[in-house]
Formats: sequence, C-alpha cells, structure tokens
Amino acid sequence: MKRLLVLLACCLALDGCRKTADQNSLNLFAWSEYIPQEVIDGFTQETGIKVAYETYDKNETMMVKLAQSPGHYDLVQPSEYAVEALIRRQMLEPIDFSQVPNVKNLEPPFRDPPYDPGQKFSVPYMAGTVGIVINTDVVKDSIRGYQDVFQKKYDQRIVALDDNREIVSWAFDVLGVPINDVTKANLEKARPLLQRWLPLVRTFNSDDPKAPLTSGDCDLGIVYSGDAAKLYQENKKFAYILPAEGAHEFIDNLCIPKNAPHREAALRFINYILRPEVSKKISDKFPYTNPNAEARKLLTPQQLSNPASYPAAGHLEVFHDIGPAMQDLSEMMTELRSRGR
Amino acid sequence: MTSPTAPAEGNERTARAARPAAWVLLSPLLAWLVLFVVAPTLILFVYSFFRGTGVSEFRVTFTLDNYRRALGSIYLDVLLRSITYAALTTALCLLVGYPVAYHIGRSAPRRRNLLLLLVMVPFLTSFLIRAYAWFAILRDRGVLNSLLESLRIVPAIRPHRLSLLYTPTAVVIGLVYTYLPFMILPIYGSVEKLDESLLEAASDLGAGPLRGFLRIILPLTWPGIAAGILLVFVPSVAMFAVTTIMGGAKIRLIGDVIEDQFTSAGDQPFGSALGIVLLVLFLLSFLMFTWRPVRSRQPVVE
Repeated sequence: MKRLLVLLACCLALDGCRKTADQNSLNLFAWSEYIPQEVIDGFTQETGIKVAYETYDKNETMMVKLAQSPGHYDLVQPSEYAVEALIRRQMLEPIDFSQVPNVKNLEPPFRDPPYDPGQKFSVPYMAGTVGIVINTDVVKDSIRGYQDVFQKKYDQRIVALDDNREIVSWAFDVLGVPINDVTKANLEKARPLLQRWLPLVRTFNSDDPKAPLTSGDCDLGIVYSGDAAKLYQENKKFAYILPAEGAHEFIDNLCIPKNAPHREAALRFINYILRPEVSKKISDKFPYTNPNAEARKLLTPQQLSNPASYPAAGHLEVFHDIGPAMQDLSEMMTELRSRGR
Repeated sequence: MTSPTAPAEGNERTARAARPAAWVLLSPLLAWLVLFVVAPTLILFVYSFFRGTGVSEFRVTFTLDNYRRALGSIYLDVLLRSITYAALTTALCLLVGYPVAYHIGRSAPRRRNLLLLLVMVPFLTSFLIRAYAWFAILRDRGVLNSLLESLRIVPAIRPHRLSLLYTPTAVVIGLVYTYLPFMILPIYGSVEKLDESLLEAASDLGAGPLRGFLRIILPLTWPGIAAGILLVFVPSVAMFAVTTIMGGAKIRLIGDVIEDQFTSAGDQPFGSALGIVLLVLFLLSFLMFTWRPVRSRQPVVE
C-alpha cells in the first residue's frame, strides 16, 4: 500500500511538472504541408514556447476533432466556410487585436472577410484557388476546364483532391449551379456527371497531390494552387489553369478556439506569422497567395509571376457553410465513389 | 463488487476457494476490457440513436433512422464488397501462409527461430513506411516495372506497363502483405505441436502424402487455421488505411465509410450505427465459426 502511495505521489508530482511546463506551449492544429518547420522553430527559439503541431487534410476532420476535444487546441486553421460554421456554433474565441499589431500588414480585402464580418475571430494565413495542373510534356491538347480534364483519353491519368465538397463544386461549376446551392435536387443534377468523372480518376489525394504528378503516375490533376505553384517551381513543365467553367478561392485563417488553454501564446504566434519576413518564409516553402502586403514586397519577381500563386483572375467565389446538406452530399459521394471500377 | 460470487452457487468447492485470488489476478484484464472495449461500445451504441444535424453536430433524441440508412442498399453494397475483399485476402493469406508456416514448424529449432524472426521483422517498422515502400515497388516507373522491362517481359512504353498502384489489385496486395503474419503464426503453433509418430503411423498404414495431409495434418492443424482465418478476416473487413494509401481512395470499404462519418462527413451518430452493424456481423460470424469446428471434429475422433 505504501509503495502504491509513493507511486501515486510521483504521478501527481510529474503531472504538476507538466502543468508548469504547459505555460510555455502551444497546441497548433493545422493543415498538412502548410506551415514550414523553420517558421515554427523560429517562433520557439524567440519565445521559448514549444509548439505541438498536429495536422489534418480536411476542414471537416478538424471540426470533428475540435468538437471532441474542447479546451485542448490553441490555434486552428479553418478555411472560410469552416470559420463561418465555427462562428455559428460559437466555437471560436474573439481575437484581441491589440495583441496582434501586425494585422496592419494584411492587404485591405483580407481585413474585412465576408465570412467573418468585422474580422473578430479570424486572421487570414494564406489564400489560394483550386485548379487544374497538367504535365505539358505529356498532355499536348489545350486544357481549359474540368470537362477537358475528365475525358476518356485521360482515364487513370488524373489525380483529384480527396474532398467531397470540392469535387461536387466542380460539377456544379460545369452545370452552372451556384457552388453554395447544395440541395438534394442540385446534387441529383450533378450525379450523372460525377458518375462519368469519378471512374476516370486514378487517385484521390489531399495530403500531397503533387506526389503522383512528380512520379509520373498521373499527368493531370485538380489540386490546390499552392501545390501547382510548387510543381511549377520544381519543373516548368507543370502548367496551372483556372478552370473556365468557374473556380473558387479559399482563404485559410488562424483562429483561437473557445477555451483554448494557451491564448497568450496563440496571439503571439499569430502576430509572429504576420511579420513580413516570417510570412515570406511561408511563401518560399508553400507558394500560395500571400495576403500579407508587406511580405509580398519581399518576394522575388519570379515568385510573384508564378501563375499558380498569383493568378490573373477577377472576383472569385468562396465556399459558405452548408450545414446539414453536407450529409446528403457525402452520402451521394459515398455511393458514387464506393463503386470504384 | 460481491456480485461475481453470487451466480457461481452451483460450482464445486475448489473453484469457489480460488475465486477471490482469481478475481484479483484477472482485475487488470477486466478493467482493461471494461475501459477500452465495453465502455466505447456502449458509447457507440448510445450515439447510434442520435440524429446528425451537420458536421460533428447532432441532436440527442431516439431515432432508428441511422440503422435504416445503414441497412440501405448503398451501405450493404459497401459491406458486401468489404466482405469479398476480406475473404479474398483471407484465402490468399491461407494459400501463401500455410506452406510457410508448415515449413517453419518442421524445420530445425535454430533455423525455426530465425525464420520466425523474419516473419515478424516487418512489425519493427511503421505500417505507413511499409505502405510507402510498396509505392516505390508498384508505381508506373517503379521497381517492379523496371525489373520486368529489364528482363524484357514488358516493353518500356506506357500502355504495356503494369499499372498496379491505385488499383483493386494493389489493395489486395496491401491487405495480404499486412495480415500474412497473423495467418502464419497461429498455424505455425499448430504445426509445431504435430506428433511425428502419427504421420509415420499414417504412412505405415498405407496413406499416401495427400491422404496423410488431408486426414492427419489438416485436422490436427485446424485450430491454427481457424485462428488464422479469424485473425485475418476480422481486421481486414474493417481495414481502412490500405485502401486510401494503396488504392488511391477509390474503392471504399466499410472501414473507410465509417472513418468518413467520423471525419469528413462528421456524422458520428450514423458512423456509430455502421460500427454497431459491423460489430453484430462479427459476433454472428464468430459464433458460426466457433460452432462449426466442434461438429466437424467429431468424425476425426472416430
């Protein structure tokens, strides 16, 4: 019994140690392939705050985990429609902008995001588009939109994002259905098109859709612009095309969840990320559209002329929270995708 | 706490005397079972009657809708496909694993340990790393294709290359590769215990190798085979990572669909219902499985 008590005391003592060390840590839950290790290390070196970096590859996955572990994460990185959903469900903490003076570095459009009126809960991290990337060494035809990609002759040469909402929005764009108008009727309208498209895809991958393109297993892809920009940086044979039928923009943000245990550290991290020279490092590694005006001034002309990072496009649509319609959407996709070939 | 002794009224005295100590010894296992098997299953069961109302949102009610949906044609299709893949995996594992297990079981003790070690070596690295190794082997310009090309078995132009990665074949290769040790090890256990003199007796009495195998070896190693089948079939029905990594997330098996409900679709109540359906299926097949060998053993004893 005595030995047991000693053991218990040890456990408590250890727990105590953990708690005090905790003041110096930050639980970051962010997209995979998005925050350079160098940037995180720089933050730790400067502040002494240890960063526990956990990743996800779908907004929905993040929202589920966030709902299941309240009071654990300090920073999440939701896209615009996920910010909307999290605000609606009161799962975010308002950001104390007096602690984040660097927010002034953002381009004006990113200071008043439509998904977070008055910018209370979110700070844009990076933005981008979803579009087509082709290996021009192999694909010689002109590819302008989704329908040019999903052709019989490219059967098993295509990689697509493993994200049901994305895939459905491509079909909606082709059909002229507004991408946020996810109703049962519109889903049914998209069904025949998707039924034709999905079997042509060789692999669905959101984590690293670059891999099958560089390895030559696929020649065409519908991927995030940052991935396309990176491919182009590595080899100019990869061209990025904004789909003619319609494209949408995504804006990923840093947000602090309700009851985040290390709010102070989270605010410091956000302010650190917004520093021009830090933000530039992110652009160097993951060439998405940088919302930081001061950071853009530090980029090279080559970086700024990368058509995947900074496409010459006018107004692009963004996703909105669709609530329970997500269930219908994923059920249809389960049905269509589970068939395989 | 005293309840465990109550239903044991009819047992012999010796059993009753051993009881308190036995319970103490068993308590870690019981606590583990309750904490990590019973409690999660109960939570799953309760959740399965709630109603999902959006990504990771649900309303606490009582509805059978999730079960109605789970037993609809979409998900029964998925379930059937999962069972087919698992059955194929189990059959291939048995086909490949039995000779290996037999050989290991019959070899000299020193060699036997070395061979067993080789079977278990893959467990020393992470499953993900091994899956990515298969990438390097199976992809269009991978090890397998370059080997076949250098041996002039296939010409080095694209349409003739083997396109294996991201196909159903790749999924089956991945499943067999993952679960093969679970087939080999229990069969090896049975083979090792085989009594040599029984085989000699069989051949003395005029049984040829085939007859000896069918009448003596097979029935005697049946417990190992049964355990192997169960150990391979059950997890491969519910497997999900292999289909995503090696199958390119194209073929969705029931494990993937359940995973989807807890991640991308965020519909935990429905995911729970699917999980419970799968669990009931396992229990049923387990009962069927444990019930049959008892009957088939009788003619052997005769």
